[in-house]
Amino acid sequence: MAGCGGTPGEDRPAAQQAGTPAEQVETDGFESLGPVTLSVISGEGSGGPRDALKRLTDEFEAKYPNVTVKLSFRDTASWFKQAKLVAASDKPPDVFAGNQGYQVDGELVKAGLVLPLDEYAKAYGWEDSYTPETLQQFMWSDDGSTFGEGTLWGVAQSGQSTGVFANMAKLRDAGVDPATLETFDDFDAALAKLRDALPADEPVIALGNKDQYGAIHLWGMIQGAYTPAQDMRDWIFHADGATFDNPGDLTALEKLVEWAEKGYMGQGDAFNSRNDAEAAAAFGGGEGAFMLGGNWNASIAKDGLGKDAAFFNMPPGESGKAVAIGSASLPMHISAKAEEPDLAAAYLDHITGPSAAEALVATQQVPAATDATAEPGDPLGRQVMQGWQQLVEDGGLTLFPDWSSPTMLQTMGQTFQEMLGGRLAPEEVISRTQADWEEYHAELAEG
Amino acid sequence: MTAPSSPGVGAPVPAARPARAAGVVELPPLRVRDRAPGEPRRVAYLYLAPAFLFYGLFAFGPLVYTTWLSFFDWDGLTVGEWTGLDNYRKVLSDPDIRASFVHSFELIVFYALLPVLIGLLLASLLAHGRVRGVTFFRAVLFLPQTVATVVVAIAWVWIYAPDGPLNAGLDAIGLGGITRGWIGDFDFALPALGLVGTWVTFGLCLVLFLAGMQKIPTTLYEAARVDGAGRVREFFAVTLPGLRSELAVALTLATITALRTFDLIYVSTAGGPGTATTVPSVLVYQNAFANGRVGLAAAVAVVLTVLIFALAFAITRLVDRDPSR
Repeated sequence: MAGCGGTPGEDRPAAQQAGTPAEQVETDGFESLGPVTLSVISGEGSGGPRDALKRLTDEFEAKYPNVTVKLSFRDTASWFKQAKLVAASDKPPDVFAGNQGYQVDGELVKAGLVLPLDEYAKAYGWEDSYTPETLQQFMWSDDGSTFGEGTLWGVAQSGQSTGVFANMAKLRDAGVDPATLETFDDFDAALAKLRDALPADEPVIALGNKDQYGAIHLWGMIQGAYTPAQDMRDWIFHADGATFDNPGDLTALEKLVEWAEKGYMGQGDAFNSRNDAEAAAAFGGGEGAFMLGGNWNASIAKDGLGKDAAFFNMPPGESGKAVAIGSASLPMHISAKAEEPDLAAAYLDHITGPSAAEALVATQQVPAATDATAEPGDPLGRQVMQGWQQLVEDGGLTLFPDWSSPTMLQTMGQTFQEMLGGRLAPEEVISRTQADWEEYHAELAEG
Repeated sequence: MTAPSSPGVGAPVPAARPARAAGVVELPPLRVRDRAPGEPRRVAYLYLAPAFLFYGLFAFGPLVYTTWLSFFDWDGLTVGEWTGLDNYRKVLSDPDIRASFVHSFELIVFYALLPVLIGLLLASLLAHGRVRGVTFFRAVLFLPQTVATVVVAIAWVWIYAPDGPLNAGLDAIGLGGITRGWIGDFDFALPALGLVGTWVTFGLCLVLFLAGMQKIPTTLYEAARVDGAGRVREFFAVTLPGLRSELAVALTLATITALRTFDLIYVSTAGGPGTATTVPSVLVYQNAFANGRVGLAAAVAVVLTVLIFALAFAITRLVDRDPSR
């Protein structure tokens, strides 16, 4: 019972600042290390992200035959809860996924569990590979209190945005031509048309909200029609005066409730009984005309629908700019206890840099590194890439709202479910979400 | 097992009482006792030590440490801050946390009361009905107890799914109007999970009651019948009183299972929709591991532990009490 009677956390070395890599980092010559094992945990255990990482890991092992990579996958929702514990254990994996924002990455940095990567960024030229907006998502002050500036702590493989997956066969049958959907209002009208065309027990939009984030991602596309992306980013990075309590967000929430009431997402609360990946599988199996969600589900949609699968960004609102939830994928970190940090960094570079391009586009993903260029061979892959590029060009990636506090995923997830179940007014969702933000904002100000 | 501390209970009175009367043959002097007759010898503590050490290290110690943690505001990683009773204040005042305890009590109905009722009914049927293959039925009905809860959860998630077998069955018998995604529905999610609990626990109750009934003397039943008691009267006059200790065991075990249930809910709904199936153990998990509120999680855990102790104690007191004693 070590620590009993003491202040919890005290016995841990204040900050495991073993965390400073040697001044001179090595980027090759790992053959001389002899047999060595690198353990890796990914937080994306399904679809394209999993397939691509497997392939890239095999390539890395082929490049360094003396290196064995022990790669394992966790499902995203439960990994967010395990990550900190696993990272704080005596034998953490050398490389593991985190999540942008205060719930996971902020805590990992604050506790000194991950290595700063600035030296590696210089050595591998990551500063040129990634846009400043991408790198910003992995930057924290050394005490983990300020998000979006300071030291670099992670890198990511792909650009993950949310958008509209369409089942073209269903659209054709209902006489909806996606090319004519130029504004959000057009899209809204198309939903009504499809509601009439499809059988009453089939949803127009396939949604899975058991994990409590599906509805938030869907809503982000509605929000994009009413609220500028910059407002959302300011809110996530805790700029003073930022607020969720604004007319645009309220209108967007009311619109989501309207969609639910009109039965666009199916009857009752059925979408609460399956998660994001299960809904994607159902959409691939022919359920619904649309799926409004993450492009990480592209390969599942393609496997199911083949040529009938299409992807495009939500048509814009009055601003004329594409806006949706999206960011770089989950950051990969190097553990502060990694025995071969240089080798771990080489692995990071291999799975994220130019060398990763082929594997990523082959699984309908968009490389996050701008110099990782490869042309997708299939139409869906091209559409996913165009969607991402359009959002980047329009400055329309809002990032993910749950990054804004350690409890926000739970607060928004629960209140959204209650709102869709008709148990909570949109105004109440706004006040509870903003209250969570303000509580954490005050905590950050105290230091 | 400690020997009874009061002399004379059960154990025969030692024949070797020092005889003081004259004329009686002197017995060899006894070793001087420093303890009352029947009192366990001190060396017994030595035998207890290993078990006690284990218990202290793995059960009592963590309990004390959890209680200690509940007085801190701690994120689980960096240095915590002493906040006294703040976490307990939050447990008592936060409507979501209070609601989670109410959900637990609803689960007790499904995990403990229903299975006991079903178990009693089935046991009296199986015991008297001369059913062929009782052993087989007993084994089948006990089976849910032996399956890992995660497997149970995944199976039932499938059964309750919007396009799952339950809804298909309802459709087939013309009840298509009430089909829904059962565990995604605010009103039905908790009862739906509760019924899974009923399914898991009633087999245990049944087996306990069947065993208990075998030790009720058949003479009692004969006497009841001679007195003109019918089946129902016989049940309340003979069977039920005879099963008192089995009832206490079944209720205690099932209530504890209901209160500490976590895996079933985590796998099937993770506490949703909204907070409709959030129980204290889910809050402990969310706060400790996801939200970095270890102190609050510890406080919820302590309150839950106290509640379990109190209920288990109350059940044994109320049910396992022989009125004739």
